[in-house]
Amino acid sequence: MTPLALLLTLSCVLFTLGLFAVLTRRNAILILVGVELMLNAANINFIAFWRYGQAGVEDPNMIGPMFVLFSIAIAAAEAAVGLAIILMVFRHTRSTDLNRLDSLHG
Amino acid sequence: MIALFILIPLIVLAALGAIWKARPVHAALLLALSLSLVAVLYLLLGADFLGLIQFSVYVGAVAVLIVFSLLITRPSDETKEIARRPQSILAGLICAVPVLAVLVYSVSYSIGSDEVSESSPSQFELAELGKSLFTTYAPAVMAVAVMLTAVMIGAALFARDFNQRES
Repeated sequence: MTPLALLLTLSCVLFTLGLFAVLTRRNAILILVGVELMLNAANINFIAFWRYGQAGVEDPNMIGPMFVLFSIAIAAAEAAVGLAIILMVFRHTRSTDLNRLDSLHG
Repeated sequence: MIALFILIPLIVLAALGAIWKARPVHAALLLALSLSLVAVLYLLLGADFLGLIQFSVYVGAVAVLIVFSLLITRPSDETKEIARRPQSILAGLICAVPVLAVLVYSVSYSIGSDEVSESSPSQFELAELGKSLFTTYAPAVMAVAVMLTAVMIGAALFARDFNQRES
């Protein structure tokens, strides 16, 4: 197994674990934990392809690390906004349980 | 290569703990562990700067933010979460396992068939990164700066307690 395949498999597993957390958790903050895992899986892909993927291709701009750099910045912003929204919901319902947010339920 | 074989199971185990633990604070701390192990992975792969950024931003900011909001919201419904688990685990597995199967199949289909040459692993050059960050990618940097400002204002606006103004 090449290192590239190993890292891509790790990324697949991490993404699926994050997806599983998003689907099964009830607490909104723990759903955000799953989203962070999924974002990390995507970042590992970028690094793996940058490190091992290109066979002798010159890459002066370092596209892979650059993507990860921007992705980390955007993930931090996403976490900040997500947690602020969750805190606002908590102030309304006194709970972070997503099953309680059923006022649009028909 | 051996270090990869040691590190990757540790990352997966920490992530498993983060999605499995019923106690939210444990889950958040295991997420922090998993993220810092990913930072070690970046260091191992030669992307030193990204490893440090990953550690300071994800572990130092995002994980701490998650722990703090757990402290504020004080989730007490652990028992309910455990009681609801069997159906949600089944539903989660039904959705997640096919996704994993498709992903692993596509990786093995595209990688496993032919040999990927490892002749020249890329080198990480921080000076080059900084140079291209502020020349080639300058518009993206500006866009991110605008986005971060908007996020900061928006998060402060959301997190503010409007009821407190009346008292």
